[in-house]
Amino acid sequence: MKRRVFVQNLAVSAALTAMAGCVRSATSSTSGATGSDIKVGILFSLTGGLEIVEKSMHDATLMAIEEINQAGGVLGRKLTPVIEDGASDPRIFAEKARKLLISDKVATVFGCYTGASVKAVLPVFTQQRGLLYYPTYAQGNECPSHAIYTGAVPNQQVSNFIPWIMKNLHAKRFFLVGSNYVFPREMAKVAKIMLKQNGGEFVADEYLPLNHTEWGPLVSKIKQLKPDAIFSNVVGTSTVAFYREFKNQGLKPEDIPICSTVTSEVETQAIGSEFVEGHYSSFPYFQSVSTPVNKDWVAKVKQKFGNNAVTHHAMECSYWQVHIFKQAAEKAQSLEPEKMRTASLGLEYEAPGGLVKIDPDNGNAWLTPRIGQCQADGQYKIVDEGKAPIKPLPYVAYGETTGNLYCTAKGLDTAKFKPQEQS
Amino acid sequence: MVSEMNLVKLKRFILSPYTLFIVAILIPPLFVVDPFWVNRLSLYLVFSVLALSMSLCWGYAGILSLGHGVFFGLGAYCMAMSLKLLSPDSLTQGTPFPLPDFIVWNTPPGEALKLPWLWVPFQNQWFGLVAALLVPALFAALVGWFVFYGSVSGVFISIITLSMVVILNLVIIDQQPLTNGFNGLNNLAMFNVGGFEFDPYGLPTYYLIAIACALTLLGTRWLTQTKAGLIFKAIQADEQRVKYFGYDIAAYKIFALSVSAMIAGLAGVLFVINSQYASPTIMDVTLSIAIVIWVAVGGRDSLIGAAVGAIAINAIQNVLSESESLINVWRLLLGILFLLVVMFLPKGLASLGSLLQRSPSVTTDTATPVEAVDSQPLKLLSQVEPRK
Repeated sequence: MKRRVFVQNLAVSAALTAMAGCVRSATSSTSGATGSDIKVGILFSLTGGLEIVEKSMHDATLMAIEEINQAGGVLGRKLTPVIEDGASDPRIFAEKARKLLISDKVATVFGCYTGASVKAVLPVFTQQRGLLYYPTYAQGNECPSHAIYTGAVPNQQVSNFIPWIMKNLHAKRFFLVGSNYVFPREMAKVAKIMLKQNGGEFVADEYLPLNHTEWGPLVSKIKQLKPDAIFSNVVGTSTVAFYREFKNQGLKPEDIPICSTVTSEVETQAIGSEFVEGHYSSFPYFQSVSTPVNKDWVAKVKQKFGNNAVTHHAMECSYWQVHIFKQAAEKAQSLEPEKMRTASLGLEYEAPGGLVKIDPDNGNAWLTPRIGQCQADGQYKIVDEGKAPIKPLPYVAYGETTGNLYCTAKGLDTAKFKPQEQS
Repeated sequence: MVSEMNLVKLKRFILSPYTLFIVAILIPPLFVVDPFWVNRLSLYLVFSVLALSMSLCWGYAGILSLGHGVFFGLGAYCMAMSLKLLSPDSLTQGTPFPLPDFIVWNTPPGEALKLPWLWVPFQNQWFGLVAALLVPALFAALVGWFVFYGSVSGVFISIITLSMVVILNLVIIDQQPLTNGFNGLNNLAMFNVGGFEFDPYGLPTYYLIAIACALTLLGTRWLTQTKAGLIFKAIQADEQRVKYFGYDIAAYKIFALSVSAMIAGLAGVLFVINSQYASPTIMDVTLSIAIVIWVAVGGRDSLIGAAVGAIAINAIQNVLSESESLINVWRLLLGILFLLVVMFLPKGLASLGSLLQRSPSVTTDTATPVEAVDSQPLKLLSQVEPRK
């Protein structure tokens, strides 16, 4: 009997708590709609295995919001960030994206790092007609209708990298390695197509689970196969274990350089620069870019987050994409997500890494490709640099060219994109 | 006289925690207008179904499974495979058969597109639904057959189930061409019954899940009150003695694990209907252990305690992780909360009931047999008759 009484109380109080929660959220969403502030969502992992990288992107987003608010806001209204933690889990990302769009009714969301998290949230944005600004380099092969991608796509990160490695590092036999999910697998597919086009070959194509830290056997395999270079798409905490194991097994960058599309300044800091020194990475932005805008920005970041703070490509995009959002809202004179997406197309901004522009066709960004070599201090010396920003081509591996676009403002042209016919 | 008896019975029925719980889960949508919260509350109910499955397996049959995420995940994947094939995207790939988008991405350059054989029967939604219940149950029976007839017991069962979830998680992530790997299956069709679509944010979906949750609660309660339920409890109290009575203990354990797995599979189905999503992170170690924690906090011996534990912890987790000041420490706070419950309420929130027992304001009542067996394993054993 007593247990019953207790359980009754428990059930009733649980129901009441739940209801209280809903009433609270219902009132807050009404006030958001009528208030003068603009609610924007910020969705990165603040906990879990991808925390280090995503926290810096989160910080850069908040930094830009603060700057915009100090300068008078957007359309004369202040931006109020609604912060959510994706907890390094695509399932949580999808849930939080639903919360931001349906419950908080935010004007836009800035967020996501891994390709897996963005694939998890995109259907939510499409269904709810929201708008996502996604600041990370991506694998391409995507033509989303409700997002703006501000990071590099393969023609800005791989198309320049593979021929450069083959020519300057005299590499012909490549070892492909990555974390086991969509980004590394698609990047490896792109690399294979480009190797074939340039007369190179791959000797292995290996994957280990995201955040896996046992790299001994794989590095031994590298030692055995003796490739000329490693093309790495290893992501997250795995990068730490991979570079350390590589050096500990006595391999040297002069003999087998690791050429990465992921390892930036922030990963290098986590790994320890003595392990990364001499290896290469390809990104449109490095902290060492010597434009006055970048020098200013790096100084501001250090002032705000301490002298040890570093900047990197995805962080830079997280920062400048907020300014693009401001321009888009003001150009559209509206906070309607679909109108803002249309207004974003064609906008330009003088970003730390140089001039950037949102492509009018596919909503990715025009960026300047660069290749850097890691130095003893963890900074990257730029060893190759494009002359100007180049047009993003998310389907470059499948034959897309500037004269023959697959992804346009109308969506993906399925008549042109035939993945199975490529060889 | 008779009517008075009926009245007492009726009063008992209305005031029973089971009735109150069921009424409590049917009421909230009448007050909640925000579709996001309707969806989220129904997600809590999905997790309470999962907690019921664990309570049956651990609290009643004494099998501490640290791999229940596998059964949940298998159920979710079976349902999601069907709904993926029925989604508008899969139907418009330009092939004569439905084709998930990721199979197009994962087909190596130069190869023809085809639907993998594993996917073919899932073109029917009802096949997916039935598979979502049977696959976890059969898988549990297979694992149980090896484990229990191999006389594995105690902590080793937990270790085996834990490695089971790690292995299956790795297989799913690695078989990207077949499972879409780490990304999981998303962009699914809505669950459709006779042309009616269950919108995850609508009230019909809430009630679909709430009714499934209520039926699961009543079903598990019924099962624990049958002779089989009594024997589960007896095995937990003194396994050797039940064995000497001539019962095939392994068979009972396999049965308990399979029923529990089937309920977890049902929770997986409901999860997919609620979240339109299935990924390896729903069949990983973290979730599997989280289920154990919900049930431990709620009280593993009490079905309602377990269900309430799941709802309470998920609600607290959401409140903590979504309040701006706690965003960096919410996992820590949750951990402290678990520690407190384990230290001061070792039998979970449900043991608050026994604290109330000493309170004078509560009138005494004769304990029902189920409550008696909770505290008196010896008395319980005397109820189990030797097998003829």
